[in-house]
Amino acid sequence: MGPQSKVRRKPQVMARELAEGEGGVLLHLESGSYHGVNPVGLVIWELLEDERSVADLVNAVRDRVEDPPPELESDVMDFLTGVEARDLLIVAE
Amino acid sequence: MRRETFSSWLSNSSWLNNLTTSFFLTNAQTIGTCFGFAVRSSLPFYYLRSGDGEPLDVSAPSCIDDGDVGELLIEWAPTPQSPFEGRLFKKATRLFLQMGGAGWFVIDTEESSITLPEQADLVRREERLWSLPATLCFLARGDLPLHAAAVEVDGDALVIGAPRTFGKTTLAAGFVNAGYRLLSEDITCLRIASDTLAIPGPAMLRVRPDVAERMEIKHATQLGETDDRVHFALEEDARGDGRPVPVRAVVLLRESDDGFRLESAPSTEVVRDLWPLTFGLPTEHDRARAFAGLVDLARFVPISNLYRPRRFEDLAATVEYLVDAF
Repeated sequence: MGPQSKVRRKPQVMARELAEGEGGVLLHLESGSYHGVNPVGLVIWELLEDERSVADLVNAVRDRVEDPPPELESDVMDFLTGVEARDLLIVAE
Repeated sequence: MRRETFSSWLSNSSWLNNLTTSFFLTNAQTIGTCFGFAVRSSLPFYYLRSGDGEPLDVSAPSCIDDGDVGELLIEWAPTPQSPFEGRLFKKATRLFLQMGGAGWFVIDTEESSITLPEQADLVRREERLWSLPATLCFLARGDLPLHAAAVEVDGDALVIGAPRTFGKTTLAAGFVNAGYRLLSEDITCLRIASDTLAIPGPAMLRVRPDVAERMEIKHATQLGETDDRVHFALEEDARGDGRPVPVRAVVLLRESDDGFRLESAPSTEVVRDLWPLTFGLPTEHDRARAFAGLVDLARFVPISNLYRPRRFEDLAATVEYLVDAF
């Protein structure tokens, strides 16, 4: 997966936001696998509704997050790698 | 032989008119409530409460040909954690549920009716009715099933969640013996909202034989015994009615070696731990709705882990600890 890879979340995955500041939870409706995400992870997940390139995604996250860290791009990539490994993501190279 | 006209026969048979009227009344009248349903049936029941609710017609026997039950939705195989075995099919608006060797339950959530299999053990048949068949009906109504017991303390419900054999029924029995009302013993029906409600279930208590040997279950009558449970029905004056009860808190049972403590947990962990208590729901739509319901439950109701000694001698102290805590 690289900056120009197209990514979007799998439609079979349901997300719900928890109380403010607590992030959210994801449930794969077919497999039943369950995952917790922190508030930034929830922002990334929301932005994955529509297919977009990883580079576009990083820029969109940067616009949404207060005081984005310098390593934002690698953090986003780590998140995407993690959700892909959990069968939550569609990646088109 | 004197031949009577139809009209004269009727006018001379007022007793038959009365019998006919009462026959229809018997079939149509509410005989009790469970899980928010007003049960209309001519069958015998052992676990109903007083009050009213949405009509649910319950009849028997169901007559099913194996080839006429539609599409298989889900199959449950027994596991060490859950001995439940069953298959659920759907054809048009009806669900066909085969539970172990108990025969077929036919559930029509639109018509609000359940047809039971012919079974000699009527108590066991009613217990099965109030498990998955009734759960499917109140799930269709929008309520959330949770593998939990619930008791009423000072007008509010305390929901006690735990996997099977983890002590929730024994703890519920402890509450009954301490004079608190049992709302549900194994499946709790929750109506999730900012004021979440518990809808009282069957007035039954099924304790392990070793528990029944060590404690007299007060306010209850023993109905029977199976290999792994002794079955009790709450006495009439201990049942109360079927009105929903506001939920004050949910506790998840944990084991402790060093006394009692209640600990809040992050919502992500709470939802994770509650999710297995929602049963293997048949469709993605059901699972999505249950998941959303659990997340909302975690937002609206305090949910804590209760660490407690899992010794029979500490049962009364556990009840006291929870009553004081809430």
